[in-house]
Order: sequence, then C-alpha cells, then structure tokens
Amino acid sequence: MNIIERLKERFEVLIAEKKRKDLLIIETTKKGLIPMLFYLKEYEGYRTLTLISCVDWIEDKKFQMSYILWNFRMKANIIVKFMLDRENPDFETVYKLWPQAEAYEREIHEMFGVNFEGNPTQNEELILEDWDNIPPMRRDFDTLKYSMEKFGEREPKSRINIRKEISEQYDEWRRK
Amino acid sequence: MSTEEVRLFIGPQHPGVTGNMSIEVLLKGDTITWAKTHIGYLHRAFEKLMERRIFIKSFPLVCRICVPESDTNEENLARGLEELADIEIPERAKWIRTLVLELSRLQMFIMWYGGIAGSMGLSTPVQWGIGDRDYILDLFEELTGGRVYHIYILPGGVRKDLPEGFEERVLKTMDLIERRLPEYDELIMDNAVEQKRLKGLAPIPKEWVEEMGITGPVARACGFPYDVRKNSPYEAYDKLDFDVITEDGCDVWSMLLVRRREIDLSIKLIREIVSKMPKGEFLTRLPNVLYWEIPKGETYVKSEATRGEFGYYIFTDGSGKPRRVHVKGPSFIHGITLLERLLVGQNIADVAPILVALQICPPEMER
Repeated sequence: MNIIERLKERFEVLIAEKKRKDLLIIETTKKGLIPMLFYLKEYEGYRTLTLISCVDWIEDKKFQMSYILWNFRMKANIIVKFMLDRENPDFETVYKLWPQAEAYEREIHEMFGVNFEGNPTQNEELILEDWDNIPPMRRDFDTLKYSMEKFGEREPKSRINIRKEISEQYDEWRRK
Repeated sequence: MSTEEVRLFIGPQHPGVTGNMSIEVLLKGDTITWAKTHIGYLHRAFEKLMERRIFIKSFPLVCRICVPESDTNEENLARGLEELADIEIPERAKWIRTLVLELSRLQMFIMWYGGIAGSMGLSTPVQWGIGDRDYILDLFEELTGGRVYHIYILPGGVRKDLPEGFEERVLKTMDLIERRLPEYDELIMDNAVEQKRLKGLAPIPKEWVEEMGITGPVARACGFPYDVRKNSPYEAYDKLDFDVITEDGCDVWSMLLVRRREIDLSIKLIREIVSKMPKGEFLTRLPNVLYWEIPKGETYVKSEATRGEFGYYIFTDGSGKPRRVHVKGPSFIHGITLLERLLVGQNIADVAPILVALQICPPEMER
C-alpha cells in the first residue's frame, strides 16, 4: 500500500498528484490539514518542515496554503495544501509541531493577512515597518498606485538635465 | 556592580554581521540571555515584482537574491519553469550548468574561508579570500560577460557555449587555487587561537536538525548526510562520483572542517565535469519568450547552495506571468529560528563567528 492509499484511508484527500519521483502533491480540507501533518510527521517519517507558502487565487476568492515536508529516509518531498477562504482567513498555527513555522507564519501574516491562531509572535513586524495599507503580497495591492499615493509623482531626471544642473551649480560657485 | 541586563543591538551596521540585519540581545555581563533577529533593512520585493513580469524578465531579478552566489537562483528558476512547461534540455547544457554552479560554489567557499578568520580579527585571509575568488570571477567574466551577476542560465539551456580553450583555463585556475590553499590552512587551521575559540563553540543539539529543517554544511557538521546534490540529484550531479562530507562535532569548528573539505570536493568535481563534458547543442528552441505562456501548475525545485537547501516554489496560472514565486532561502531558518536559540548562553564576542559559521545571507530572508 503506498502513501496515497494510506492517506486516503485516514483523511479526506481531494487531489493526489505525483509530480516527480520525489514530489507528491496532496490537497486536503481546512479541517483535515493539521491531523494530516501530524500523521505525516509522526508515522510516515516526514519529520522536517521545509516551507509554508501562501498564494492568492483572487478570482476564486481563495488563499492556497501549502506546507512542504521532507522525508530524510525516503528522500522525498510532499506538498500538503488546502484552500482558505479569502474573506475571513483564519487558521491555526503549526508552531507546536515545528518551531520554524513561527517565522514562516509571521511572514505570511504580514504579507497576506492570514491569521494564525496560537502563534505567539505573529503580530510582530518582520519586514515591513508601520505598514498602512492592505497586506502587500495580495493580488489586489497595486504597487504603482501605492507609490503614487504615498510619495507623489516625481519628475524623472535625464542625464543631460543632471549635467546641466551640475554645471549651473558650478558656475554659480565660480561667480562667488 | 549592578547585575541588571543590558539591551544591545548588534547591526545593521557592524563589521561582524554578515549583511544588513540586526540582532537584538539581552546581556548579563558578557553572556547573552536572549536574542532576536530583526530583518527588513533591504527588502526589495522581488517576489512581488516577479508577478508583474514575463518569465524571461525575472532572470535579471532573481540573481540579485543572494549576491555572492547568484547562479543557484537562475538555475532553480530555469529548472522549475522547464518542468512546468515540459521542456527537455540538451545534455551539454546540463553539464555546463553544473560547471557554473560548482564554480560559483567554490568562489563562495573561498570567500567564506577567509571570512571566518576575519570574524575573529585575523584579517589577512579575508583579503586573500577576496583576491583568490577573483580568479574565478575572471572565468565568469570570460564565460558570461558579468563578474557577479551572470544571467547566463536561461530556460532551455545556457545563453552561450563555452569559449574555445575555456576548459584548460578552468583547470589552470583550479591548480592555482589548490596551490594557495595550504597557506590558508596554515593561518586558519593551525592557528592556536582559532582552534581554542572555535572548538566546542555553539554546539547544535542533533535533534534540532530534523526538527527545525537545518540544511547544508550546518546539518552536515552535525553528522547528518544532507546534501541535495546527492539526495535528489539535479542537472548532471547524478553522473558525478562523490560522497557527502560529514563531521560529527556539531560545533563551529566542525562547520569549518566541513567547508574546508567542501572546497577540495568542489575542485575535484570541477575537474571531473571538465573531463566528462559532452559535445552537442547547448540550447533548445523555445517558443517566443516574449509571448511565452506556461499552463497552470505548481512545482517545488531545490538545489544545494553553499548555505543549504535553496528552493523555488513556483505557481503558474496559464498566463505569461508567474502567479507567485516563493523563494526558500536556507538563511530564513538558520537566521531566525536557529540563531535566536543558538545565541542564548554564548559570549558576546562569539556572535560574529557564529553568524559567519551559519553563513547567514539577509537578502534571501526578505526577498
């Protein structure tokens, strides 16, 4: 019995795709994720959490949360993912299973606004300082518009203009 | 004398810190009782910018994610896109890529080897490291036109074939570097001060390696044979003959030994690659890259950087631009989760060697 069948026996598996020899992609539901991660860690040997990632599928009004695990004995990766509602993105932390999840979740909270209940540090700033807009990695955040509103329009300086300016300043300095 | 704790910021401007990051520590006397990493000093939103660009325009961006070792990024992104678009690349392209990756690994290790001495105030090997690295940068300049950023590896293969006589010049440079290495060893390895300070410094508990996802030379210094080149071979690494280097000390000295042996391994691998380099095409025909659309999909590709496992998690949605590219740099775990725990109980003077030993590269934490 391979791992896909074992997972299907115990949990709700929506999609199971073998991408490569050493990469398996499993889609599950929001409710089944943490039990599945726990099972994979404790019983299947996927003991290492490599990455937590989030993607904004704005047209479906969903966030895709992905957890990449690594099995050292089998030399294989598994991606466990589920779709999270974009309107109220509340989820639980996996901090108690893996300590590095804390930093990954802090980043996702900052960049996507996903709320991880139980994460002790998620409200601390990781990268951004005094951010005053919607989380910046969401698809509806427009970088150009934000920059225009925040910093206003600036006239681009061409190299000739800069040179002119410098020579004018120099002349002024000479006259003194 | 008061026994009060002192709050101190190390960085972002500090000669011992490996980039623009800062570590906030609480000190009791000389001993660190609490540490926290602060990043965000050079966030350039690469991941967001990539979402607004066509695939081919992302390559000049990604090589800037970790400055001294840019080729890992290009290779990872190219391999990921090839996998999603179902493109086979020619055999020679794979070998040239492997050669470029090994050269870039070697120059990074040489610079690091000088850097670990510099972190303890021994400044001669630092200058040597920068100088000897330049011989490899000369090779890169000849091959790609750029010294630090190469933008050489593209989807479908590599940008140009090897110039005539390039292989001989690579071998000559390898001989030159091999001749120089004993001088480094004399200054660093045989140095009583270095040995006394580094042996037993910052021991990592072995169970942390799997639990925290520690990779690369740090994991190998804990006796863990974790090397992506061997575990999940990419490009031409499955046709090369080498063993994973491990040490059993778990301390900074073992990390130094692992990296010193990695330099020898890299030189050996480069010689092997040059001797086995096949003939043939170096680039497959791609569709017009300006209108190149990749069907919807996702994949995770990884490779071995000098710091650990470097991964790219790429999502495409059928349009001409990626939906999201998540860059997993090894420093994210080493620099935040591991460093905050490892520094507790250490002396304030040992922060710089520990930072260099973990080889933390802040740009890949913030992307």
